[in-house]
Amino acid sequence: MPILQIKDVTKVYEGKVTHRALNQLSFEVEEGEFLAVMGPSGSGKTTLLNLISTIDEPTSGEIILDGMNPHMLKATELAYFRRRQLGFVFQDFNLLHMLTVEENIVLPLTLDQQPLEVMEERLASIVEKLDLTSFLHKRPNEISGGQAQRTAIGRALIHNPSLILADEPTGNLDSNSSRDVLELLTKINQERRTTIVMVTHDPIAASYCDRVLFIKDGEFFNEIYKDDRRQMFFQRILNVLSLLGGGQVGDLSTIRLP
Amino acid sequence: MTFRQFAYRNVVRNSRIYGAFFMASFFSVAVFFIYSMLMFHPDIESGILGEASLIGMVGAEVVLVLFTLFFLYYSMSAFLEARSHEFAILLHLGMEKRQMNKLVFLETMIIGSGSIFVGIVFGFSFSKFFFMIVREILHLDSLPLYVSWEPFLLTIGVFTSAFVVISFISVYFTRERKLRDLLKGNDYLNSVSTYSKIRAVIGITLILSSYVLSIIVGNTSLIDLTLVIPFLATFGTYYFFRDSLPCFLDKARGKRKFHWQRYRLLSLAEQTHIMMDNVKMFFVVTMVSTMAFLSVGVLATMSSYTIQYDRLNPLGLVYKGDGDNPYERNHIASLRMELEEMGLSYHLSRFVVIKQTSSYTQNEVEVFRESDMNVLLSSYSYPLLDMAKGEAVFIPYSEESLNKLKNKVVHTVLEENSIPITIDSVYPKIVFPGSIVSVNSIVISDEDFVKLIKPIADKNVAQPTYHLFTFYIPQWMETKNIGKDINELQASLYFYKKNKFSPFYFENAGLNYSYILATYSLFTLVGVLVATVFLLAAGSFVYFKLHTSLEREKRKFDVLKRMGLTDTELKKLVNRHLFPQFFLPWGVAMMHSLFAFLMVQGVLKDTANISIVKEVVLSFSFFVLIQVVYFYLIRWRYISHIRS
Repeated sequence: MPILQIKDVTKVYEGKVTHRALNQLSFEVEEGEFLAVMGPSGSGKTTLLNLISTIDEPTSGEIILDGMNPHMLKATELAYFRRRQLGFVFQDFNLLHMLTVEENIVLPLTLDQQPLEVMEERLASIVEKLDLTSFLHKRPNEISGGQAQRTAIGRALIHNPSLILADEPTGNLDSNSSRDVLELLTKINQERRTTIVMVTHDPIAASYCDRVLFIKDGEFFNEIYKDDRRQMFFQRILNVLSLLGGGQVGDLSTIRLP
Repeated sequence: MTFRQFAYRNVVRNSRIYGAFFMASFFSVAVFFIYSMLMFHPDIESGILGEASLIGMVGAEVVLVLFTLFFLYYSMSAFLEARSHEFAILLHLGMEKRQMNKLVFLETMIIGSGSIFVGIVFGFSFSKFFFMIVREILHLDSLPLYVSWEPFLLTIGVFTSAFVVISFISVYFTRERKLRDLLKGNDYLNSVSTYSKIRAVIGITLILSSYVLSIIVGNTSLIDLTLVIPFLATFGTYYFFRDSLPCFLDKARGKRKFHWQRYRLLSLAEQTHIMMDNVKMFFVVTMVSTMAFLSVGVLATMSSYTIQYDRLNPLGLVYKGDGDNPYERNHIASLRMELEEMGLSYHLSRFVVIKQTSSYTQNEVEVFRESDMNVLLSSYSYPLLDMAKGEAVFIPYSEESLNKLKNKVVHTVLEENSIPITIDSVYPKIVFPGSIVSVNSIVISDEDFVKLIKPIADKNVAQPTYHLFTFYIPQWMETKNIGKDINELQASLYFYKKNKFSPFYFENAGLNYSYILATYSLFTLVGVLVATVFLLAAGSFVYFKLHTSLEREKRKFDVLKRMGLTDTELKKLVNRHLFPQFFLPWGVAMMHSLFAFLMVQGVLKDTANISIVKEVVLSFSFFVLIQVVYFYLIRWRYISHIRS
């Protein structure tokens, strides 16, 4: 059963310059799937993520999340929906600086007024899984980027959301930390059957996913499924990307590739 | 686009950022200018108000300038901080540090000259209005508007130099930061400063001890201790904000059961952060607000004094002379003539007062005659006295004495003439001002009074008998020009014949009142304007600080909104964010001033016998009202910024 359905979604930004960010985009995400959305800059990836995370509304079309259309909800219900159903991982972590690592992780639960025992229990299990014990009481500015992103993943997971939205989670990390984070996301996806939608630029990051969806200029471009071997999958992603590069350059380069 | 044009456009297009800064400096200029207009006024200079008030005004000007300097410096550095990202881009594009300084200098001068110009125009256009108010409260016939170069020159000179100094200082004193950090923007967090538990305890102890001391001073009049209290309070306040509060918040954060609840997690952490980041600001705002409260409170006290003056001084003119005063006939005649010329109605009462020795205390006592007294009482339309032989009544000398003497019964004998009397009550209203009657004054019946033939035995007593002439004048405030030559004679006798008592004493309540009123009103003007500037500044400090961190806050709320923060929760969080910044320094300042007033009240009770509770409560609630309005104003702006 698809957990997320995007049906003919169009988003037009009106203003001094009218701009069509998404055009009749449709796709589905199955429960427990790890989906990557790729596309060049300005292709509407972030808009798509904002629409799914319900902080923005589509101009037309509908988004069905877990069997319901969150955009029909009132503002307060929507906020409750977000705090229970969605988890977020950002490119620049967006940890709150005045809170310690531990406090950052439990923040979604405190907002939802969970009892202290539940919070401590969940915290303990997350901390163990993500290996955060050594820096639990430090501030976000005292830890490395990889540690910060692991903390952010912990924050996204602690309330057991049905969908995790990740916006370039490896964008600010070095290659080792990136690999750690991606392996962690894969592990979570496999063990907990948590659905993850990840927006990324990075073909290596995308190659960890089950499926990669390409969009270009706000429209569906292509999608490819995972292979047995990640190396092959990565190669195919690169091929689509070079096609996606657009215009004459992209076409030429595919021909020139050996 | 020349460099100057660039600076100009920077200012004009950043009007939202610079608006608050402009408003604050413009207001300071306007207040300063209005003051100067009053100070250089030809009528004032010729001395209607006397030297003391002029010195007071100059003092207020100096305070105003010093404070404005500090205030401008603070807001300037806050704005430089807020614009660090912009500067970083400029530096990145290859602007020299020297050019940047020049840019800041030019911008400051543009804003400065703008606010000086607008401030002077505003000040000048309101100075006629201001003069009218001054004229009314000082009871002057006229205080015309005048044009002179002095106030203009003073204002322009003072503020131009202030802006020049400020722009240099704020450029040279800003922290040197790496371009990379600047580019990243404001979320560059200072390394978290730590608190020390010892200092935390010291802070609280200092504040508490200053409070205790102020109560002690209030009750025992050990005035010397007053010098210590401000120091204790100042240092105590500083350590309170620097160590005690962070320590307390940290302890609170340690308790998960308490801490991990809804917004508390966020707001407590935020408060700790704000506290540690803004110790100096909190300290300055607290001290400034305390000063503002105190000045307004003192004014309230003085106003209560002027209101009570009427009650404490029921008589318009009082003339008191020795039994053999050579001037008596002339003076009384001239006073009556002057009153008649002025067309003022009056009731003249004559008293013959004889001093006797009381057997009860062996002190001298001033004895009034019942029928003399009744003449005066009937002019007041107070209840008359009706006394039998051997009966006597105390004459109250102050409000307090009314209560003290109420239930006192004394059996005594006027020794020189062996007249036994019983004093069993006090006249329920104040009849004479405190300066005229002595502490031991009684009224006896006419039968007894005629028997007082022998004078007081003690030869050293001055004025064994005296004559008292009281003029009850309903329009007593208009008598200030009456009896001027008597006053002059009195002053010259006092100066040239110090060895001998002056044979008469003359008091003109209207004249005294006009002096008190003039001084008081002037201090009110000075105080209210300075307090307004202080309060405006204290509020603006908070505003500037908020403005500096606005971008960071916006990002934070963006994340929280994604995580599912509802709108009502956002508002509550903002409340918790803003509330302490507004009301904590004020709360502390209120506490400080409260204890200062308790002290003042205690001291005043012994000397001037004025109660200031009502006035202080009134002015405090007025302040709270203003602050609440200001809080909601800022909150409204803040929420709309955060949401955009």
